[in-house]
Amino acid sequence: MATVTAPLPGARVENEGQRIRFADLLRWSVDHKVIGLQYFVTSLFFFVVGGGLVMLVRWELLTPALDLTGSGTTYNQLFSIHGTVMIFLFIIPLWGAFGNYLLPLMLGAKDMAFPWLNAFAFWLIPPAGVLMILGWFVGQTEAGWTSYPPLSTLFSGDGQTLWAISLHLLGLSSILGAINFIVTIRNMRPAGMGYFQMPLLAWAILAQAIIIVMATPFLAGALTLLILDRVAGTSFFDPANGGDVLLWQNVFWFYSHPAVYIMVLPGFGVISEVLSIHSRKPIFGYRAIALSSLAIALVGFTVWAHHMFTSLQPELRIPFMITSMIIAVPTGIKVFSWLGTIWAGKIRFTSAMLFALGFLSMFVIGGISGVMLAAVPFDIHVHDTYFVVSHLHFVLYGGSVFAAYAAIYHWFPKMTGRMLDERLGKIHFWITYPAFFFTFFPMHLLGMLGMPRRVAVYAPEYQALNVLVSISSFILGVSTFIALYNMVRSLKVGRVAGPNPWRALTLEWTTSSPPPPHNFDGDPVPFKNPYGFGTEAAHLYLEAIESHSGPSAPPPAVTTALPEPAPSGD
Amino acid sequence: MAVLNQNMYERELTRDELMALRNRRTAVTVFQISWIMVFVCLIVVNLQIRSNSPSWPPPGVQGLEPILPTVATLGLLMSALLARNGLKAIGVGRQSAFASNWRAALVLGGAFVAIMAYEWTTVQFSGQFSSIFRVMVAYHAVHAVVIGYVMWRVYRTAQAGGYTVQRHWPVEGAAKLWYFVVVAWVMFYVVLYIL
Ligand code: HEM
Ligand SMILES: [Cu+2]
Repeated sequence: MATVTAPLPGARVENEGQRIRFADLLRWSVDHKVIGLQYFVTSLFFFVVGGGLVMLVRWELLTPALDLTGSGTTYNQLFSIHGTVMIFLFIIPLWGAFGNYLLPLMLGAKDMAFPWLNAFAFWLIPPAGVLMILGWFVGQTEAGWTSYPPLSTLFSGDGQTLWAISLHLLGLSSILGAINFIVTIRNMRPAGMGYFQMPLLAWAILAQAIIIVMATPFLAGALTLLILDRVAGTSFFDPANGGDVLLWQNVFWFYSHPAVYIMVLPGFGVISEVLSIHSRKPIFGYRAIALSSLAIALVGFTVWAHHMFTSLQPELRIPFMITSMIIAVPTGIKVFSWLGTIWAGKIRFTSAMLFALGFLSMFVIGGISGVMLAAVPFDIHVHDTYFVVSHLHFVLYGGSVFAAYAAIYHWFPKMTGRMLDERLGKIHFWITYPAFFFTFFPMHLLGMLGMPRRVAVYAPEYQALNVLVSISSFILGVSTFIALYNMVRSLKVGRVAGPNPWRALTLEWTTSSPPPPHNFDGDPVPFKNPYGFGTEAAHLYLEAIESHSGPSAPPPAVTTALPEPAPSGD
Repeated sequence: MAVLNQNMYERELTRDELMALRNRRTAVTVFQISWIMVFVCLIVVNLQIRSNSPSWPPPGVQGLEPILPTVATLGLLMSALLARNGLKAIGVGRQSAFASNWRAALVLGGAFVAIMAYEWTTVQFSGQFSSIFRVMVAYHAVHAVVIGYVMWRVYRTAQAGGYTVQRHWPVEGAAKLWYFVVVAWVMFYVVLYIL
C-alpha cells in the first residue's frame, strides 16, 4: 500500500452525558478515570509553575552579573523549587495520570484494585504542593532538589523543613499508588491475557511500580533524618558533631537514581505503544522490551554512587563506573527494538508519532552523555557543571516530557472523546523540538568549558552561549502553551474521536471515548497479540469494535472532503 | 482462579469477594516488602555511622545493656506466634481460642513497647551513638503502637462477633502487619545489640 493516511475520526457524538466535567475533578471520587484526570490537571498545573520559575532563572542568566533576582538566595530558591516541582509534582504525578486512567482500561477491568486508596494517594498531592509553595513565606529551601547537607541543614530557611514534609507526603502517595498498580496488574488481568500479552505500557508501569515500592522508603528514611537534624537537635549530617554529610548523599541517591527510572519508565511504555500503532507494525522484540524494563529496575539499584564520584572513597569508583555502564545495555536494547519496530513501517506522522520520534532522537543523546558521565575521568571534570544539567534535561525533557506529549496526543481522544487538533500539534512539535535542542545542547559545551551549575553569576566568556540558551528556553516555554491551548480548545471544538481513532488493538480502544463509568459493557476479550497489526484476524477484531461501539471514521457525507480512513487489513 | 490461596471455607465466597481477598493479600505482601526498606535504610545509616567511629560504642561511651531488651524481644517473638494461633483459631471458628491468644499477644506487645520506652528514656546521651539508637527504637515503636492499636480494634470487633469463619480478613491483615513489626524489630535487635 503506497499511500497511507491517518484515519479521520467520525462525527458521532457519544456519551455526552457521561463526560467528566471540571467540577468533578474538585471532588473526592474513587473512579480511576476521574482520579487519572485529577492527576493530569494537577501535574500540568505544576508544569506551568515549575516552568515559570525557571524562566526567571534563565532571565537572570542572560547576563554574567547578578541582576534580575537581586540576590543569590532568591536565585537558589528559584532553581531549587523548579527542580523539585518538575520532578515530584509534575513528571511523577503525570505518569500517575496515565497509569490510573489507562491501566484498568488496558486490562479490561472496571477499576483499580483499591479505588479508595487510589483517591487517597491522589489527595496527598495537593497539600504537598501547597506546603512546598508555603516555603516562600518562611524562608524557602535553597539547597536544590538534591538538598545536600550542610546546605539543607545549616543554610536553608524553614522552607526546607516544609520541603521535606512535602516530599514525605509525595513519597507516601507514590508508594500507595504503586502498590495499587502492582496488585491490579498481578490479579486483574482478563482471562486470556498473560503477562506476555499485556500492553507494553502495563509492563513499564509494573517495572516502575516495583522501583517505587523498593526505593521510595529510602527517601522516607533520609527525610526523617533530615527533619530530625533540622528540628530535633540531632546531628546526623553535621560533621562538627560527629555526623557525616555523605550519609545523606548515599541514602538520597540510593533512592534518587532508581527514581530517575521512575520518571522515565512509563515514557518507555508510551513510546512502545505509539511507535507500533502509528507505524502499523508489530512491536519488534516484545519480550526484550518487557524484560529490559525489569533489568533496568534491578540494575538501577546498583549504580547510585555515580552521583558521588567526586566525594566517594576512590576505591569504589570503578565498581560503580562498571555498573553504570551496564545499565545502558537494557536501555540500548529498547532503542534498537524501537528502531526495528518502525523500520519499513507505514509511518503516519501524527503529532503523537512526531513526539515519539523526537523522544528517540533526544533520549539517545541523553543516554550517550550518561555513559560519558559514568566514565570517572570525564565525570571528575564535568561533575557539577552544566554538562550534567544538559544530560538530565535530555533524558527528562527530551525523554520523559516528549513521551508525555506523545501520550497526550495519543490518549487525549480516549480520555475526552475529542481529537486534538493535528495542525496545532505539529506546530507545537516543530517549535518545541528545535527550541528544546538549542536550550539544552549548548549546555554540554558550557559544562565542558567549565561553567558550574547552580550559579547566578558567571565568567563573561560564557555569555554568548547563555544568551542562546535563554532565548531558546523562552521559546520552549511559550511553545508549551500551544499544547495547553490545543487541549482546552479541543475539549469544545475538537473532532469527535469515536472509540478507536488510531485503529489500535489494545483493550482501552474497545470501549467508547470517553468510557462509561463502568468502563466496558460485559467482559472485553483481548486480542491475542496487542501489536498484531497487518493480519486478517486483527482486521476482523477492529471491525468488531466498530460494529459494537460505533465508527471511528468520518460518516459518508464528510468523507468526500476528507482523506480516506486507514486502509483495511491493518 | 486456581492460583488462589484459598482454604475450603473460602470456596463459599462470591467471585468478587474472592478477588477482593486476593487483592488484599497481594497488597499486604507488597506493603511488607516495600516498607521494610525504611528499616533497612535505618540499618544502613547505623552501619555507616559506625564505620566513621574508631570503635563501637565510640570511645568513652557506655554500651547498651542487653538483658531487658532481649527479654522484650523474646516476648515479641512469642506474640507473633500467639497472633498466628489466633488467626488459625478464627479460621476454624474457635472464637474463644482466638480471644485468648490475641489477648496474650496484645499484652506481650504492650510489654515490649513499655520496656523499649524505658530503654529509650534511660539511654545515656552520647551524640551519634544514642541518637541513632533513639531514632531506630522510636521509629519502630511508632509502627508497633499503630499496628498494635489495629490489633486491639480487631480484638474488640471479634468480641462483638464481627468475624466469621469465611469472612475475617481484618484478623488476617492485622496479624500479617504484626509479623511485619516483629520481623522489623528482630533486624533492629541484631544491629543494635548483637553486631
Ligand atoms: C545510560 C544510562 C545513564 C547513565 C550511565 C547515567 C549516568 C549519570 C551520571 C554518572 C550522573 C552524575 C553526573 C554528575 O553529577 O557528575 C547522572 C546525572 C543525572 N542523571 Fe543520568 N544516566 C543515565 C540515564 C539517565 C536517565 C534515563 C535519567 C532520567 C530519566 C537520568 C537522570 C539524571 C539526573 C536527573 C541527573 C542529575 C542529578 C543531579 O541533579 O545531580 N539519567 N547520570
Ligand atoms: Cu544516576
